[in-house]
Amino acid sequence: MPDDLPAIELVHATKRYGDTVALDDVSMRIAPGEFYCLLGPSGCGKTTTLNLIGGFVPLTSGELRIEGQQVNDLPPHKRNVNTVFQNYALFPHMSVARNVAFGLEMDGVKGPEVERRVDEYLELVGLLALKDRLPQQLSGGQQQRVALARALVKRPAVLLLDEPLGALDLKLRKQMQVELARIHRQVRTTFVFVTHDQGEALSMATRIAVMDAGRIAQEGTPQEIYYQPADRFVADFIGESNFVAGRPSQGTDGPVLELASGERVALPAATASLATGEEATVMVRPECVDVGLEPPPGPGWAVIRGRAIGVSFLGDLTRVTVVTAAGEVVASRPHAERSRAAALGSLLDEEVSVWWSTAESIVIRQG
Amino acid sequence: MAKPMDRLETMPVSRRSRATRNAFRAWSLVVFAFLYVPIAFLVLFSFEDSRTPGLPFTGFTLDWYTSLPENSQLIGAVANSIVIAIIVAAVATLVGTMAAFPLVRGGIRWPNAARVAFTMPIMLPGILIGVGLVVFLAGTLDIQLSQLTVIAGHLVLTMPFVILIVAARLQGFDRRLEWAAADLGAGPATVIRRIVLPLIAPAILAAALISITLSIDEFVVTFFTVGSQLTLPIYIYTQIKFGVTPEVNAVATLVMVGTILALGLITLVATRGRRAGRAVVRRVRGGR
Ligand SMILES: Nc1ncnc2c1ncn2[C@@H]1O[C@H](COP(=O)(O)OP(=O)(O)OP(=O)(O)O)[C@@H](O)[C@H]1O
Ligand SMILES: [Mg+2]
Repeated sequence: MPDDLPAIELVHATKRYGDTVALDDVSMRIAPGEFYCLLGPSGCGKTTTLNLIGGFVPLTSGELRIEGQQVNDLPPHKRNVNTVFQNYALFPHMSVARNVAFGLEMDGVKGPEVERRVDEYLELVGLLALKDRLPQQLSGGQQQRVALARALVKRPAVLLLDEPLGALDLKLRKQMQVELARIHRQVRTTFVFVTHDQGEALSMATRIAVMDAGRIAQEGTPQEIYYQPADRFVADFIGESNFVAGRPSQGTDGPVLELASGERVALPAATASLATGEEATVMVRPECVDVGLEPPPGPGWAVIRGRAIGVSFLGDLTRVTVVTAAGEVVASRPHAERSRAAALGSLLDEEVSVWWSTAESIVIRQG
Repeated sequence: MAKPMDRLETMPVSRRSRATRNAFRAWSLVVFAFLYVPIAFLVLFSFEDSRTPGLPFTGFTLDWYTSLPENSQLIGAVANSIVIAIIVAAVATLVGTMAAFPLVRGGIRWPNAARVAFTMPIMLPGILIGVGLVVFLAGTLDIQLSQLTVIAGHLVLTMPFVILIVAARLQGFDRRLEWAAADLGAGPATVIRRIVLPLIAPAILAAALISITLSIDEFVVTFFTVGSQLTLPIYIYTQIKFGVTPEVNAVATLVMVGTILALGLITLVATRGRRAGRAVVRRVRGGR
């Protein structure tokens, strides 16, 4: 298989259920070995996308290719793709080992070879000791790992995972995230991973597709998605964001954003080409924003005056909410030392400034 | 394993509601007596020494049981009933199970209407079904009444139960198990054989056992469709025309015991079937 052939390719794929458009003219290319995350709010079409790739529901229009081959009409059992279902879907009448062996038996693998590979993959997910248990005798996390082993043992070209960690508690979830990342590195299969947990997507994916109402709002690496959101929806959905709206114009030291109050906030130099007079929105992440009684002197900072209306101490950091002419701006400050927490605490109800390096400002489309 | 639920403390009650409660309790005992005292006498008299059963009890004997095998008419009727019941159960289970799939899985028009139509015979009076069958089979098609017509009549009665039981099980069946099997490379036939059938097997077995019980007990429909043959209920009926005999009591007692055993088995299969089945599997595996 040449490496430039995408493992999965959707071309103008549309899926309708009656009047509902679950997937609306979506195109994506997933390269071999990727850890590709589908991220989006409930009902945006994530599961539908996986079900199309897995072959459980037919496309309404468009094309699906797996390793370059058009498979629109291929039934699931003939696709070189395996799925870890959201509810695990383990066969309740079969032991762990029998569950994992099922796919191999379907491939016509015989006797000792089956046992050998079942053991190998149960070892990989750390469940060899429990191979004779029934699924209902396992914890949620263990069941999830069985589902993983059952899909992986077939060594599919592509592994589809539908919110596999959704049912787990936070601790187990973190543990499984690490484990999944390790398994991905080890087996080098293409993973298509569905989640609506942005932290999960950011920490594990090589690439993320943020979906919204059956479309892909943005596709990119975690850093691109986080630091260069394509539109307001993505910026809002991924992480926390401050939005500052105003009219761009030319200031003495470069481009500025003029707020409704007449305040002028410096913009990055690269945005000089913004049409003046038209409304524009700038996004900045709370952790990039600093807050204090007086702003730092000198150019290169975007500064807005306001009043601190909320200070919450969160242990490792403090969040300060400031009301400005451009709306609320949240600054999220880590405490390198403990006196810093006290200093931030004393800002409550004071007239303060918030500021950030203009390099952290991202001009975004409304959306 | 689930722990037995802790017994809930009852709420404090006023004297009056305690009295009401006791009255209801007494009433339920009366109802139970009404249901079971006749049967108790039936069993009791099957051990009665005297040829004419009645109080007072004159002496204990097993003669009526030990002499049953010599009664060739009775043995013939029992054999008939069993053969009919087994064929009825086999056909009803097979056809009923197949019918349950489209009812639950769709692919047919008006599934709700179809379901009502399929299960209607449960609600219809047996005498209506009996007359209908005679009119249709003997009157219209001119078929000689025989065991075959009895089987046809019993199928009308038992099939709806099979459909109901299997459909209920299919209703709760997680389709994603089938998706998962297909995903792992199983074709449609393999999915049915390896995943669906094993998981609905307890329901199918329960349906078969219920069919057997219903068929063996059925009198009305059999009476209309049986022709010159005898089945067990028909035999008992013919005997009773000449007054209740101790033989009939003994046969009836045996039928009752058989029915209770079958019902117990059904309950066991339906509730514990999977667990028990697994225990057996484990034991067999462990023994290897
Ligand atoms: N079988 C179906 N029949 C009709 N509509 C459906 C069906 N399956 C999904 N939909 C619709 O398609 C849209 C996308 O559903 P999908 O299951 O893909 O969402 P999702 O992104 O997986 O959401 P979630 O995060 O809640 O799982 C939804 O509006 C849903 O109502
Ligand atoms: Mg979903």
